[in-house]
Amino acid sequence: MRDARVLLISVFAPLVIVPGYILVMQWVGNSEEQRLEDTVYEYALSGDEAEWGLEIVSAALALEANDPDTSQAVVLFERQQVTNADSLLESGEIHLVVEALSPEAYERSRAEETTTDTLDPEEDEVTPEIEEGLDGGTASELQLPIIRLRFRSNSDFSRRAHDRLDVRIREVRSELRDSVYLAGGFPVGREEFASVETENTASAEKEGGALLGMALTPFLLLLMLSGGSIMAVDAITGEKERGTLETLLTSAASRSEIVAAKQMGIIAVGVVVVVINVLNLLAYLVLGLLELPENLAVALSPLDLVLILILFLPLTVLISSTLLLISGYAKSYKEYQIYFLPLFLVFLVPSLAGILPGLDLRSAIALVPIAGVGVAVREIMVAEYDWLFLAIAFASTAAASWWASRLTQRTLLTERLISSSDLDEADLLGGPALFPRHVLRWFVGMWVVFFLAAIWVGGELTLQGQIILNLGVIFLGGSLLMVRRYGLDPRTVFALRPVHPAVLLAVLVGIPAAYLTGIGLSTLVDAYLFPVPQSVLEAFGEALLPDEIPLWQLIFFICVMPGILEELAFRGVLLHGLRKTWSPVIVCLVTGGIFGLFHVDLFRLIPTAYLGVIFAAVVLLTGSIFPAMLWHFGNNALGLIPQRMGWVTEETVFPEWVFAIAFVALLVVFWIIWKVSTPYPDLKKTRPLEFS
Amino acid sequence: MAIANVKVEGLQKSFWDESRGEVRAVDGIDFDCQPGEVFGLLGANGAGKTTTLRMLATILKPTGGSASLNGYDVLADPEAVRRSLGFYSASTALYPRLTGRETLEFFARINGYPANQVAPRVEELIDRFGIREYAGARVGKLSSGMKQKISIARTIVHDPPILIFDEPTVGLDVMAALEMQNVVHELRDEGKVIIFSTHIMSEAEKLCDRIGIIHQGRILALGTLEEHRQATGKHYLEDVFVHEVMQAEDQSAKAMASPGEPRTSL
Repeated sequence: MRDARVLLISVFAPLVIVPGYILVMQWVGNSEEQRLEDTVYEYALSGDEAEWGLEIVSAALALEANDPDTSQAVVLFERQQVTNADSLLESGEIHLVVEALSPEAYERSRAEETTTDTLDPEEDEVTPEIEEGLDGGTASELQLPIIRLRFRSNSDFSRRAHDRLDVRIREVRSELRDSVYLAGGFPVGREEFASVETENTASAEKEGGALLGMALTPFLLLLMLSGGSIMAVDAITGEKERGTLETLLTSAASRSEIVAAKQMGIIAVGVVVVVINVLNLLAYLVLGLLELPENLAVALSPLDLVLILILFLPLTVLISSTLLLISGYAKSYKEYQIYFLPLFLVFLVPSLAGILPGLDLRSAIALVPIAGVGVAVREIMVAEYDWLFLAIAFASTAAASWWASRLTQRTLLTERLISSSDLDEADLLGGPALFPRHVLRWFVGMWVVFFLAAIWVGGELTLQGQIILNLGVIFLGGSLLMVRRYGLDPRTVFALRPVHPAVLLAVLVGIPAAYLTGIGLSTLVDAYLFPVPQSVLEAFGEALLPDEIPLWQLIFFICVMPGILEELAFRGVLLHGLRKTWSPVIVCLVTGGIFGLFHVDLFRLIPTAYLGVIFAAVVLLTGSIFPAMLWHFGNNALGLIPQRMGWVTEETVFPEWVFAIAFVALLVVFWIIWKVSTPYPDLKKTRPLEFS
Repeated sequence: MAIANVKVEGLQKSFWDESRGEVRAVDGIDFDCQPGEVFGLLGANGAGKTTTLRMLATILKPTGGSASLNGYDVLADPEAVRRSLGFYSASTALYPRLTGRETLEFFARINGYPANQVAPRVEELIDRFGIREYAGARVGKLSSGMKQKISIARTIVHDPPILIFDEPTVGLDVMAALEMQNVVHELRDEGKVIIFSTHIMSEAEKLCDRIGIIHQGRILALGTLEEHRQATGKHYLEDVFVHEVMQAEDQSAKAMASPGEPRTSL
């Protein structure tokens, strides 16, 4: 707190920025208004019916000048008599061109238009109907002259000239219409049949609130990030650079105490920032200490401010934890900066959600941590209180902040980060022991490659080509890369160990047992729980095959290759990498699930995952990958051959007792495997020691 | 009643370097220390002194073996170890924006010194080290000699029974180094256990009661100066050191020629 910079950013800056901003907006708004009012708008007439056009315009200007409503200043127009109206409009020397065209001239110019540039001045067509046909019809059909206003939409002045004149000319038109009605015997003007009034239900205050509400979250976020950073960068990175980290670490305080204390410190800064700014808002917006320009007028109650404060608290914790985390990772101030910028963007972008007009809090956005708060704040500032969703937005950000906080604590307690060790290059106990930390990342990468390959070239490859690409290149390639990268021992990683013969026999029985149990399970689920998509039901029982490929090739590509390569990748590398991360049961489920995810494109996610779990269990129980390979091969063969040979068709239905027997058989198979089990070595047993 | 001594058995620290593979920074170290004794770790740079001391201070976790200080195990009870320990090293800096007095107060409190005795203790140390003149100035503004005094005071402010000094005279001028040595003597006479690492032979000769010669993560020889002299037939510590190191290098060269034990896989 002795650091002047912290005070500067958290306290001083907001006190100055908010009123400064308000004053600048006021000044800009006023001067702009003034300018628009003072200008005399120059227009020119053109077209072959220019004389008639002049009459209409004069009538319009007369209306403008004699408007009883004095709330808006009269807009002054001045006519320029020129021959090159269009080029003057383009160069900006006049603001508006009024074209009065006879129907033929209109048609002609319409025909020319299709070739013109879209950057040309915009056009607006006003069709005064001197006579009204009962069926309406376009002016050109009725052979009426047309007035066309040409202006430049990228000029404020031109636009204003156009808007005002447009309004007046339309008024002229309706007056002319009325006179037609009256002449035709109607007792009243058309307006009295029905008047349409437009009312802007968003009052000026709501508009102002929306404006400020959009900006508030990103603004506060920025302040928190910068103020909090000053504290955070010092918290660990600074300690490392200064050398005080070691002094601190040799004190009697526990690691978690130190981490928690630092977190508190940064959170405190964040909270101070938020509170000061909310108080600021209080001063200006609720108590009205400064007069606000029209478009910033906001109606806020103290309750609103409290709500906003509450919403920002979890955001503060989230930011603080993350800043502390990168402070832990960074070994120097410079490195901190490198991590900081992307983090800054990651936080800033969702906070801008409040700016997107279409987003309501009452939508999935409330579940997105920072974005939910951004939208919620905006809604509060226009006095929309969707309480349920406010609570949801709070909860989602709070959950994220809790998770970030825990992650930070856990990560900072690892020796690597908080020790000021000079062992920069080395990763303590890395290599084969580093692999478990990275294995999921690799598989995510492989999945991405797999997915992209499927999109880009999937359609163009034959079945064989696809399998060679997916299994040969991606799975096998990925596996070998990992082995190489982490210096792994292939025998251990791939669990290439011998196995008790009884296991293999059991597997042979297990193949049809699991297969049929799968079908049975899915029909059960379909019947009693919820409808299973037909495609999934089918996928359990069959393989999608093109007919032209000879059987031996199919066996190779669909049974042998997956049986070997998928096992090496999933029950080999992946299983080995995760063996210590979770308990054996969870590991089976996770590897099965991941295995399933790699088969998404064939609707085979669930049946594949189911098999994946079974295979993983077998490998963990036997410590060897060969039973799983055999099982995989057999399972695919079972799906392939009977169908191909015509022994079963799509219509084949198994009676229920078959499923029951299959299920029992499966249980027996696993019991046998369990009995002779030689478990996979080196699994997770107890919770690893935490470094305190 | 905790026994104020240090017991190290088979202490090991390995880490993984991408280019070198598994590196054993500390490869099986045993020693004991008693109260009222200065135990010296003598070795070249990279021999494993700092890593060993860091493990004793619980900054690093040993990958093998065990160590206990004051009866507390470094793995099981690191906080208790740290409470009984004062650690001083060239890389233990001070907070620049705190004053000298505040530094001492902070570290007394964070190390568990009884709250009501902190103030008198701090004043006592300020007097002992003669830093009263600048105790109220921010540490960042002091010269390195003054900082060093505050640093030493910081190390003992909570009156720990065990002290570790890791190359404490590095970068100090002659007078300051002598100061340091005096302090170590005083502390020894007060009955503390002191572990002292250095690569300066004269310092070790003067200060240490027992000396352990450490090289490539192993203790080559352990004993009083006399015992070293008798074992190697050399008089000056420097010669003793060189003798031991050369012997060790010869032995490991011979071991390389014949197949060694396979690397443990993880």
